Amino acid sequence: MNRIISELIKREINILDKEEPEYPLRLKEIGSPPKRIYCIGGLPDDDRPSVAIIGARNCSGYGRQMAREFAMEIAGAGIQVISGMATGIDGIAQNGALAAGGKSFAVLGGGVDICYPKENSRLYEALLDNGGVISEHEPGTEPIARFFASRNRIISALSDAVLVIEARRRSGTLITVGFALDQGKDVYALPGRVNDSLSCGCNELIKDGAYPLINPYDFVREFMDRYELGRINKGKGQKAVTGKSPAGQIKTDAGQKSGKDRNGSRADAKGGSKSHENLFLTAAERAVMSVLDYEPKTVSEIFYDLSDKTDMSIPELLGLLTDMTLKHHIDCVDGMNYCIRS
Amino acid sequence: MYSSVCAGALNGMSCFVAEVEVDVTKGLPGFDMVGKLSGEVKEARERVMVALKNCGIELPPVKITVNISPADIGKSGTAFDLPIAIGIMVSLGQITGEACKDILIIGELGLMGDIKSVSGVLPIVIKAKESGFRRCMVPIDNAKEAAYVEGIEIIAVATLVEAIELMCNEEILKEHIFRPDRDCTTQAVSVKKPDYADIIGQEACIRAATVAAAGFHHMLIMGPPGAGKTMIARRLPSIMQPLDTAESLEVSTIYSISGMLSEDRPYITERPFMSPHHTTTVNSLAGGGVYPRPGIMSLSHKGILFLDEFPEFGRECIEVLREPLEEKKIQISRARKTYTYPADFMLVAAANPCPCGHYPDRNLCNCSDSMITRYRSRISGPVKDRIDIIVTASRVDADRIVDEAKLKRGERMSTMSSAVLAVKVKTALKMQERRFVGTGLRYNSEIPSGAMEEYCALGDKEKEYMKKVYDSMELTARSYHKILKVARTIADLDESGDIELKHLAEAISYRGNL
Repeated sequence: MNRIISELIKREINILDKEEPEYPLRLKEIGSPPKRIYCIGGLPDDDRPSVAIIGARNCSGYGRQMAREFAMEIAGAGIQVISGMATGIDGIAQNGALAAGGKSFAVLGGGVDICYPKENSRLYEALLDNGGVISEHEPGTEPIARFFASRNRIISALSDAVLVIEARRRSGTLITVGFALDQGKDVYALPGRVNDSLSCGCNELIKDGAYPLINPYDFVREFMDRYELGRINKGKGQKAVTGKSPAGQIKTDAGQKSGKDRNGSRADAKGGSKSHENLFLTAAERAVMSVLDYEPKTVSEIFYDLSDKTDMSIPELLGLLTDMTLKHHIDCVDGMNYCIRS
Repeated sequence: MYSSVCAGALNGMSCFVAEVEVDVTKGLPGFDMVGKLSGEVKEARERVMVALKNCGIELPPVKITVNISPADIGKSGTAFDLPIAIGIMVSLGQITGEACKDILIIGELGLMGDIKSVSGVLPIVIKAKESGFRRCMVPIDNAKEAAYVEGIEIIAVATLVEAIELMCNEEILKEHIFRPDRDCTTQAVSVKKPDYADIIGQEACIRAATVAAAGFHHMLIMGPPGAGKTMIARRLPSIMQPLDTAESLEVSTIYSISGMLSEDRPYITERPFMSPHHTTTVNSLAGGGVYPRPGIMSLSHKGILFLDEFPEFGRECIEVLREPLEEKKIQISRARKTYTYPADFMLVAAANPCPCGHYPDRNLCNCSDSMITRYRSRISGPVKDRIDIIVTASRVDADRIVDEAKLKRGERMSTMSSAVLAVKVKTALKMQERRFVGTGLRYNSEIPSGAMEEYCALGDKEKEYMKKVYDSMELTARSYHKILKVARTIADLDESGDIELKHLAEAISYRGNL
């Protein structure tokens, strides 16, 4: 015990029992709240909205881009992003949230002082400054498989809504969704092509009634409306909202930010901005863009798809793809595979 | 009576002329052999005695002593049987000592007196010629191989009796000189060789293979299983220039030492293509053994060493590639001596992008990032650094295979066939020949980093472009040089004296991101 206490002091780990006032409200409300939680950095603000962004570890290029895009828009609107800091969607979303200047919190499956997975050590450090890491396990606990399922209930508990970016049909992500539904949270899922195995889980969630995620800006607007409504209803039933309303503040925040975005370069008008860029493409580049996808394609496949559009030779195509990569129109994945850049 | 007959022996890649001394004296009957001989050389005693007996030559009860000099070099192989037998006949006075001057004799004996082929005939005959011998007596099965050396008379023998008769009679010997035009019936065997027109799709890989062949660049083909990586590699010799005379002699020598020349293939003119299985051992790749023999890397000399499933090769096997990739030769050190074998090959490796083989197609691949990193890290950095060209082969759609298999073959024949590509490669080789005249270099891949400015000079526009690329793609100095060398080859294929933007852009696409 002494050892643990000295560790706590050394690493500035906060320890919160269920009875303490700082213990997150959202966590108290669920069926089986952890008796005690540990955290480094901060805890999610009870008066600010928060959403969980979760998904597959081995994600596709599409999932990668969408996770980042949604996380940036959401964090940019002042919403806290909760996730599990795992490889793939989790980590990408949290990185995106931090990149947009927002706050993000990771719930770990082991002790808070153990960065797992190791690849995300940079994200771990960044989260300590702009958010926090949380766990129900004692510091020094090694993460093991069965802890992950139960930590998922904390992820969903700390969030007002759960966003599923990519999930296979039988995926761990769906465990979190199960908890979220039990806890009465809204579930959103990103639709994908029906024959993509990584989108299967999401598409099925939508079929079962999850809200489809079509566009980051729309999501933020819709979510905030629902969030406000929920707070007002809750406020009526329970304690009165005191003094300044942080929620209201957030709403204006969100409105302003998104408005700015709409006039600016990114987000909302994604299709629009792409066609805007297309104006500056040469005929050959336009042809290449027309056969590219969010999923990487090899040069030979691109060549074949182009064969009835242009009579470009392989050397020309290879050069053109390099140039377009340099101009950031497209992305080069794993050597010789190319896909559209968002 | 004492006699001396000359024979030849191998010592690593080099040969030496060995003198077989035979002394026959009265005394307690016996047969002793000295001269640092290995087991198979000592066994010659039994073969020679029995063969002589079976040829009807009764040996008197005498003491026979054989010494093979120089006595301080270890001798191995079975080529000493025939010279020992001839030496005994000279000592017994059946053949004149005069007849053994100016002739080098090699051959293995069977118990019935038949003469069997031996390995290393080609380099031994070359050595004999260099040492001023007029004639060389070789087993009949090695005759064609020996006849590849011009300026020395080849006597091909099938039996011991024939050999003794020839040694006794100068006149018959003269008539017996081997003439390939008269003595062998050459039947031209036309085998349908693999052609790039057989491949459906994979245009990018075929292009990369052309560039690799033109500049002798090492290449790595990544792709899912069944995409045709092996097909692409196997067709590389079909677009490369055949070996020139000097190269052919060099390669044939290695094959001769390894005993891999046969009557059907007495010397090598095609570029070698070796594809060892991934369970191969370090020794089989590098060469070795108590009496070292060339390994697969040396057998791919001047040709292609194709390593399919590259990451599956043992770690040591991959590491042992380092020295030959750099030095173009391999040294095998033994306690007493270091053997050097040439190993100037073009490395073509094929690998799956991840353990399951389907990355980045996430519909099929569920390998985690760390699995993929671990899988790729099996190819060590220094080896990766030597690979100039990395391409990705794609999975071919079913409809493409079904529809195009026959329909578009004609079309492919005109643009993508080996014949068409070979012409392009030849042009590029001519450009390189002119550029490197008098420098000892032959291919663009050999340009040393110090001479980059001289051979791969860029214009202002190109320099500006490469600066941009250098920063945005986070290149290292080495990868920058790789791009320039490949771009030089691409420009040569284009018959362009200057490296232009389009050449650079194409070269960059081959850099991979391993």
